[in-house]
Amino acid sequence: MLKLVDRFQRYQDLQHYVGWTEQDDHNVRAVAFMLAPHLNPLIDDFYAEIERHPSARKVITGGAVQIARLKGSLIRWIHELLTGPYDAGYVERRSRVGQRHVEIGLDQVYTNVALSRLRSGLVAALGATWTADRTALVTTIQSLNKLLDLDLALIEDAYQAEYLARQQRVERMAAIGQVGGGVAHELRNPLNVIKTSVYFLLNARTLTPEKRAEHLQRIERHVLLADGVITALSDFARMPVPDLKSVVVQRVMEEAVEANPPLDTVHVIHDWPADLPPVLADANQLRIVFANLVRNAREAMPQGGTLTLTGRAVDGRVDVTVADTGVGIPAEELLRIMEPLYTTKARGLGLGLALSRAILEKNTGSLHVTSQPGTGTTFTVRLTADGGK
Amino acid sequence: MPTTLTLPSVLVVDDDRDTCRNLADILTDLGYRVDTAPDGPSALELVRRNPYDVALLDFKMPGMNGLELYREVKKLRSGTVAIIVSAYTNTATKEEALGAGAWQVLAKPVDLNKLLGLVDVALGQPLVMVVDDDADLCATLWDVLREKGYRVCLSNNAHAAADRVREQVYKVVLIDMQLPDGNGSDVFHAVREANPEAHTIVITGHPRELGGLVDQVLKEGADAVCYKPFDVSALLSTLDRLTKPGLAGQPEV
Repeated sequence: MLKLVDRFQRYQDLQHYVGWTEQDDHNVRAVAFMLAPHLNPLIDDFYAEIERHPSARKVITGGAVQIARLKGSLIRWIHELLTGPYDAGYVERRSRVGQRHVEIGLDQVYTNVALSRLRSGLVAALGATWTADRTALVTTIQSLNKLLDLDLALIEDAYQAEYLARQQRVERMAAIGQVGGGVAHELRNPLNVIKTSVYFLLNARTLTPEKRAEHLQRIERHVLLADGVITALSDFARMPVPDLKSVVVQRVMEEAVEANPPLDTVHVIHDWPADLPPVLADANQLRIVFANLVRNAREAMPQGGTLTLTGRAVDGRVDVTVADTGVGIPAEELLRIMEPLYTTKARGLGLGLALSRAILEKNTGSLHVTSQPGTGTTFTVRLTADGGK
Repeated sequence: MPTTLTLPSVLVVDDDRDTCRNLADILTDLGYRVDTAPDGPSALELVRRNPYDVALLDFKMPGMNGLELYREVKKLRSGTVAIIVSAYTNTATKEEALGAGAWQVLAKPVDLNKLLGLVDVALGQPLVMVVDDDADLCATLWDVLREKGYRVCLSNNAHAAADRVREQVYKVVLIDMQLPDGNGSDVFHAVREANPEAHTIVITGHPRELGGLVDQVLKEGADAVCYKPFDVSALLSTLDRLTKPGLAGQPEV
């Protein structure tokens, strides 16, 4: 959210935008005393209109007492509008109106139309009491309009900022819930093993030295597993800035396949043209992406199939595809598979593709997928070709 | 009697190998016969071959989840008591599991004292068999008797029933006199031979059914007869009498 100083600077910027001058300031101040006797009927009209609109009415929950208090605030607001000074404190008080409207659930449109009604009333009052020449009346109305438009901009700006901040808070809470579910499952499994091993060590009626060693080693292994889950999460949260260098994609892919060998029943086809240009990427990060895709392909083909790995130069880019002939992904899942913590598997956090996509975005690349349930899935990694600009 | 019949048996199914091993160690140490399986299909293979008193099933497994597995186990061996263990339980899954006949749903990591206590309680529930070819009657009796704390094994023909009594020790066998592949007296004799301690209740449409076979079986020592349509509360009190230790006149095994 904007700080007070920033808001005031923004207000000054908006003043320039509408062409607010010393003269406008002077014009408005000059009529403040003239308008003073007309304000009470305007305010009564303002609240009478609110009474007629249920969506606006519902935010006033305190009855007549609250309305009386609100009328007092509105009088002060108009008084300040007409007399200034238009300083940082003024801006802050206007912004609070917008924030408050979000808190009480008053839609911004009611501020817009309520201000329009107030504007009409002020202009009518001016016209009725004006005794000097009409040209001066027009310039004064123009000044008043600029001032009201600036106020509206301030309130709306604050409204939007507050609304967004609240929405983000809600989304963050939802994300925590989602992370909680994914992490719960992945951590509870190793914890469960640790807990049962400890139980056995503490309660076994007959405990041989071999069994004791076996359970202690098991505990150690699952502590490491649990630690790995936490490492994977924190790696995702703060991925290092990529060290972009010229990289031969074929070599990185071969390393990824070697580290994640497909089943014996999977036929692997490499298709890399000899003139394929190198790409600009961080080889270590790219290997993580390729490894994820190769692993996914392997899991999609438990009964075997064909894994096709291809590189193609396209318009200053290099497209790398990883195509399997596996189970495929239903359309409704396809939209979500790159979301963090979305998983359809019994094991895993659901970070693989989200991490891959995040890595590629930092490596000036992108990740795309097409799939046909029952036929197979093709992931395309789009990378930036290096050199030869 | 072979030893496998006397040892209480537990099946542990979890796709995490270490979880299987740990539960096997703990249960074996307590004197149970334990088998483990990493997934639904291999668990079902074991269930086809052996009767289990209790099955501890992990809910989230690749391929077939613990509840889907239990539904299949129940078709094969409805007398197996299922405890489903889940790392991430929600009320809906829990209710679905209980609705399908699973006995308990526990959160992971499991409280072992609680789990072992429940295994003990399950083993203490009297094992009864219903031999009847009427699937609806069987399903209803399963629900009613399960609710009353009996373990209920269902058999829809004389052959299956004869096989079952050779595998496990039953407290009570309810026998429909008219079966597709024979009559109830064959089953009665099979029970007598393989499972002499078991009580028997004969189910029949009317006393004169099958030319006096009912009377014959009663004379040979069947404990009670139950006429269709059922008086459920009478059946329950008969069962209660027969399974209460000391009251039925037969000492505990």
